[in-house]
Order: sequence, then C-alpha cells, then structure tokens
Amino acid sequence: MLNTFHFLNSSLLAKLEVGEHYYWKIGGLSLHGQIFITSWVVCALLIGVAFLASRKVERIPSGLQNLMEYALDFIRDLAKDQIGEKEYRPWVPFVGTLFLFIFVSNWAGALVPWKLFEIPHGELVAPTNDINTTVALALLTSLAYFYAGFKKRGLGYFARYIEPTPILLPINILEDFTKPLSLSFRLFGNILADELAVGVLVLLVPLFVPLPLMLLGLFTSAIQALIFATLAAAYIGEAMEGH
Amino acid sequence: MWMGLTLLAVEAVEEGGGLFDLNATLPLMAIQFLILMAVLNAILYKPLGNAIDERDAYVRNAKAGAAERLAKAEKMAEEYEQSLADTRREARSVIENAQAEAQQIAAEKQAAAQQEAAAQREAVQKELDEQKASALGQLEQQVDSLSDQILGKLLGSAV
Repeated sequence: MLNTFHFLNSSLLAKLEVGEHYYWKIGGLSLHGQIFITSWVVCALLIGVAFLASRKVERIPSGLQNLMEYALDFIRDLAKDQIGEKEYRPWVPFVGTLFLFIFVSNWAGALVPWKLFEIPHGELVAPTNDINTTVALALLTSLAYFYAGFKKRGLGYFARYIEPTPILLPINILEDFTKPLSLSFRLFGNILADELAVGVLVLLVPLFVPLPLMLLGLFTSAIQALIFATLAAAYIGEAMEGH
Repeated sequence: MWMGLTLLAVEAVEEGGGLFDLNATLPLMAIQFLILMAVLNAILYKPLGNAIDERDAYVRNAKAGAAERLAKAEKMAEEYEQSLADTRREARSVIENAQAEAQQIAAEKQAAAQQEAAAQREAVQKELDEQKASALGQLEQQVDSLSDQILGKLLGSAV
C-alpha cells in the first residue's frame, strides 16, 4: 500500500486543505480513503499494543502489560462511575474502545507527520477529523444506550419518555436526537478546529510558534476522548437506571 | 484485501467534497469500530480484566489468610506467655524448696558433725585424764621409791 505514497518535497509542506477528500469507489459507494488509511493505522497500533501487552499475562505486571492494565483500570473506573458497580462490566469493551480509538486517533492526528505521505487527493488526517467517523461513533452510542435500556427494562424503557411528567415528552424525544448530534459535532469540531488552528499557524510561522498550540491540541484531544467515552457511559447508565 | 482496495482506489474519481460530506464511510466506519471492539475484547479487555480480577482475588485471599494467621500467632504468643509465666513461677518454687531442703540438710549435717566432734573430744579427754591419772600414780610410786632410796642413802648408816 505504501507505493501509493510519495515523499513530499518539503517546500510543499505548508499547505492547507479543508473538505478535500481522497475518494474511493467500491461498488456504487464512495468512501473517504484518507480516513480509512489512518483509521487502519490506528487500529493496527491498538491491536499491536494490545497483543503485545496480553501475550504473556503475569500476576506481577511489567512493561506494556502494566501500561495497558493502567489504561483498563482507568476505563473500568470510568464505566463504573457512570453505569454503576452492578451493570458496568458488559459495557467496558464498548466504552473502552471508544476511549482508546478516539484518544489514539486524536493523538495520531496531532503527532504523526501525515503530510510526509502524499495521497492523490486531499491529505491524511486523524479519523476523528471526519464527520463520518464521529457520527458513526455517536450513532453507535445511541444504539448502545437503546439496547441497554431495552435489555434491562424491556418495553418499560418507553416509560422514561413521560417521566417525570408527560408534558416533557417532546423534550425527551428531542434528547434522543440531540445526544448523538452533540456528541459527534463536539468531537469533530474540536479536532478539526485544533488541526486548522495549528495548520494556519504553521502556514504563517513554520517554526516553534505553533508548538504551544500543538501542546494545547494534545491536551484537548485527550479531553475530547475522555468526554466522549464518559458521556457514552453516562447515557448507557441513564438508560438502564430509569428515573 | 488492502491491495484490492488500493487498486480500486487508483480509479478514484474527483467529486464535490466539503466538511459535511456524509457517505458510505459512516456505516463502514461503524462496522470497523465494532470489529475493533470485538478484537480488543478478545485480546485486551478479557485477558487483562481477568488478570486484574484474579490479582484482586489473590490479594484479598492473601490478606484474609494473613489476618487469620496474625490472629492465630497472637493467640499462640499469648498462650506461650501464659505458660512461660507458669513455668517461671514453678521454677521459682522449685528453687525455693530446694534451697530450704539444702539448708535443712546442711544444718542437720552440721549438728551431727558437731555432736560427733564433741563426743570424740570427750572420749579423748577421758583417755587423756586416765593416762594422766595412771602417769601420776606411777610417778607417785617412783617418788616414793626414790624418796626411800634417798632416805636410805642419807640415813643409810643411821638406819
């Protein structure tokens, strides 16, 4: 696959592209190729690290196992806080994968010099820099909390739409639309804005000046991953506990 | 599969982009995410989660066992202390008894020895007195005979 990349002349580095996509056509479907390429890199990284960490599980952890156990502990605590001690376990993979995928995507977008790899059209960016990815994750979150609610409470789940009073029915229904909308746009907007701000600064002053903004970008990227995972867990917990 | 996708990608066509260009990337990305979740569940969450749970259980058991052993050890220490005190008391009484007994024996022996010594002294004294008396008797006889002889010599002619 690497033969489609060419190393770019450094004079062309400072270039800004927004809303340009590298389209792949499969059947009648058009796809954003740059997003898939970077998401495969992210997935490969996650799977590789996970594989190395769990290859030889020991009671006294060391190295990668220690790191990933720390991450897993963090995710478990997050899920436990939002969903509750009794119900959180089946949701750890979902919440955890949300957090890890978004976090690694964001940081990969900020740290990996993607512009060194040239693709025919557009440029390589973090997977979370594309509205398709964030909407996909947000819709999966919606499905997840519907599933959690129905599984836990059956058709009694609908009762929450008229609680605490039936007057709130429209607002409660509206919530089901605003939740994925706000989830996806928050993540997309933050990552895109960060990348654009860094891009513009790099365009103006190529050396040193963008560094503080890049560090801030790393911070917001991590926070966005945490926010997305926490909110997803909170929605799931809310759907299960009822009012 | 990637090579196939790349070959397809080569025939990619330009079309209107834009920031909010929603297309088939969305469902495919969702499916890809679910696959990633399944894979990570198999190789990360399950094994490491089990490891964490097992370690928790191990630590909990070890702690409970340690607490139990500590209680047992404390109880045993107390018992030992008790028996040590008993033994000390016993030893002290044994020593006291032995000392008293020894003193008694010593006193008895001393008394007997003194008695014996007195008896011996008495016997010796008696013997001494007897010998003295016999010696004095003998001496008296000799004095008598000597004085007779002296008398005879002095008054020999006269007698």
